Amino acid sequence: MNELDQMAVTDENIDDRKLLINQLMNEYSDSVLHLVYTYVRNRMTAEDLTQEIFIKCFEKYDQFNQQSSIKTWVYRIAVNHCKDYLRSWHHRKVTLNEKVMNYIPSKAKHVEEEIITKSEEDSLVNAVMGLPIKYREVVFLHYYEELTLLEISKVPNVNINTLKSRLKRAKELLKHKMIEEG
Amino acid sequence: MNDPLNNLKTSMKKTVFKDLSFSNERKNAVKETIRRKQSPQPFQSWKEETYLAVLETIQYESCHGYEISTKLFQKNECSFQKNEGQLYTLLHLLENKELLRSHWLKEKKYYSLTNKGKKYLIAYKQKSTKQGVSLKNLIEEASL
Repeated sequence: MNELDQMAVTDENIDDRKLLINQLMNEYSDSVLHLVYTYVRNRMTAEDLTQEIFIKCFEKYDQFNQQSSIKTWVYRIAVNHCKDYLRSWHHRKVTLNEKVMNYIPSKAKHVEEEIITKSEEDSLVNAVMGLPIKYREVVFLHYYEELTLLEISKVPNVNINTLKSRLKRAKELLKHKMIEEG
Repeated sequence: MNDPLNNLKTSMKKTVFKDLSFSNERKNAVKETIRRKQSPQPFQSWKEETYLAVLETIQYESCHGYEISTKLFQKNECSFQKNEGQLYTLLHLLENKELLRSHWLKEKKYYSLTNKGKKYLIAYKQKSTKQGVSLKNLIEEASL
């Protein structure tokens, strides 16, 4: 981690930068993928987006100012990329259609999922994944990534007090959901 | 502090993130894209046939960009497939070089050959290799 930050400082040329991206991928690709998944809720899309995110990191590396850690910077790119995607025409039109199509022919997968979701931990995860994005993201970053609110505020660039209230609201929503499900 | 969310991390790892990992193939795809992106190709250059095909599509009538793109596709000219934006770069280049001109009609930009463009096209067709090289050189010069 420190080593990566240091490399970031000394980056001079393209080869170094390639090396840096490789190291970033080795270090963070799984966490970025998981982060992306919490936004898009689809494994394939998450992998595609993660791929694009690392390419973006390579391209935009000039714009990394050393004020944040490189991890925060990568996360921020990831979060913005996910939000761009969710807003995109492709996602709104194509993905929704696919969902509808998938639903019609066979229900087998859904049944399977339903059985798995019986356990308690799954219902928590599902409840979290079912939250609206602004709550989902803060819950994930705080409880899964274990970032402090201050660190989180740099990722989606949201005021810390806003985050506090979102987190509170998220917990209320979750509680309601969990009670509803029994 | 009995916050059920404290279990979130372990729960997620066991469920939605189970076996969800960024594979080596994916990593290699990233590396490959990066390599391709910065391999030295400061100016986009097109194949000889591509220049010719584009000029040919508007030989007899003026067309707008999408029409050209469709015609190229019908001709099996796939240089711009999945990369349609590049077609417009080339069209602008040819326009700058005065091989074609354009006009707007109902919010669409129509391209047609200029006399110079026609001459080049005919010259190219007559003695393909020699003139062809000069056409390509000429256009690449223009892009510099």
